[in-house]
Amino acid sequence: MVRAMLTAEELQILSTSLGVAGRAVVFSLPVAILFAWALSRPRFPGQAALNTIAHLPLVLPPVLVGYMLLLAFGVNGPLGGWLKATFGIQLALTAGGAALATAVMSFPLMVRAIRLSFEATDRGLFEAAAVLRASPWDRFWSLALPLAWPGVLAGAVVAFAAGLGEFGAVITFASNIEGETQTLPLAINAALNTPGRDDVAFRLALISLTAAIVGLLAAEGLQRWARRRLEG
Amino acid sequence: MSLELRGAVVRRGAFRLAADLSLPADGVTVVFGPSGAGKSMLLSAVAGLHKLAAGSMSFNGRVLEDVSQRIRVPAHDRAIGLVFQDARLFPHLTVRGNLHYAEQRRPAARNAPITLEISRLLEFEDLLDRPIHNLSGGEKSRVALARAIVSAPELLLLDEPFAALDGRRRRDFARVLKQLSVDHDVPMIVVTHLVDEAAELANHVVAIRAGRIVCDGKPADAMMRPEFSALLDVRDRGAWVQGVAGIGSGDGVWVRADSVLLASAEPKGISARNVWPGRVASVLREADGSILVSLATDKGYILSRITPEALADLKLEDGSTAWAIVKAHAL
Repeated sequence: MVRAMLTAEELQILSTSLGVAGRAVVFSLPVAILFAWALSRPRFPGQAALNTIAHLPLVLPPVLVGYMLLLAFGVNGPLGGWLKATFGIQLALTAGGAALATAVMSFPLMVRAIRLSFEATDRGLFEAAAVLRASPWDRFWSLALPLAWPGVLAGAVVAFAAGLGEFGAVITFASNIEGETQTLPLAINAALNTPGRDDVAFRLALISLTAAIVGLLAAEGLQRWARRRLEG
Repeated sequence: MSLELRGAVVRRGAFRLAADLSLPADGVTVVFGPSGAGKSMLLSAVAGLHKLAAGSMSFNGRVLEDVSQRIRVPAHDRAIGLVFQDARLFPHLTVRGNLHYAEQRRPAARNAPITLEISRLLEFEDLLDRPIHNLSGGEKSRVALARAIVSAPELLLLDEPFAALDGRRRRDFARVLKQLSVDHDVPMIVVTHLVDEAAELANHVVAIRAGRIVCDGKPADAMMRPEFSALLDVRDRGAWVQGVAGIGSGDGVWVRADSVLLASAEPKGISARNVWPGRVASVLREADGSILVSLATDKGYILSRITPEALADLKLEDGSTAWAIVKAHAL
């Protein structure tokens, strides 16, 4: 049905967007879970710094994030150069790079949702697990993660929906390359800047809006479903 | 074989619990005291969930914590189980899942009852596949007890384990608990603020008030001391008695002064099976005007509360002979 409603160009843009946002979520999820877990723990040295790092993308201009990524992961950057020389991987100007920029930008949203979920878990349950011989690591896998599952799921879906709309960081780090890094907002921007393509921009905007709404509804629905399973 | 606390201090906010104790590592030890005395805190410290601020603690010769030597065995390495008052079952698992959680983590060498066996014993076999949120309070506390037993601890701590059960079930499960302790050779420490429960469960009693150990010892001794009596509400005053007819097991029960009648001549033709002759050891007038008579019998001291008029009618005084009459069902 979607195929019948969209042009080949729109399908291409949508699939690039979904691919970029999807990869961004998959790669940042484990890191976000670790950050959220650490931030939900009782105070420890370095926690404030960790909190700042996790939330920095929320307050920095997206263009600046893209620029910083370019400095670090550009072909001549310290990390980018090493990746290229060691694994032959290039991130700048590629779909992988777009996913990285998207992951960084949506990271705070994901951490926040997961952290709230960790914090909402009854601490007493961990004590109950400890006296049943569960080590801290065991308690993380057997209790913390399964109980925070609704939050993890919601965080991932919200990050995915937000990732579909990421613009500044992506265009700065990965540029606007059709079929490679041209996601929905980049394509809308390109269409708006090209005379006579207003209708294209409008259709893309509708697609973008639909994807965002579906994403948010899915996050809400999944969270409710998961909570029902936990709490009855 | 014992749990030793030497100069142990536990702090929470302004509250301070100090304990110098040596508890036997067999049978059931009851920690008794009014609410806010620090009973639960003591269990938390022994389980390793609350740090000692000073002193040391060891179990069967193994040092669990020593503040001066900076030794602290974490809770998950202590092999000490704890049944919380609020059950704390894992909400993402079924009843069976909760028991398996414990089963999977117990050392292979430890012999303990399996899920099915314990669920039969505690009468929740038909609940095994239920989610936790579908259980009543009483059911939750039974599952929590089962989960702790299945984990085969070397010492099991129980914080008011029967709080959610009604009177009859309370007594049934107290009996089951005592049997489990014997059958599986698990020493237990049970916290309670109910004197009947303490009397029925205890092989050993520790009484706490305001963070201090008031007395400890065998129930026949510790529960009969004035320090213990001072912890009790007037209506709860009584005596620890063993071998009361009609109670079933041969263990001790708490015979309240209010449930004991006195007679100045041997009663004949009455239904009560527990009629004990004795000599009046003391006659005390209580603050509310009632009279507390202590009778030395071959069951030990029995207390009876009577009115001043009854005392005058019976002409009781120190050294006079009297009969104590107890209706077992009233206990």
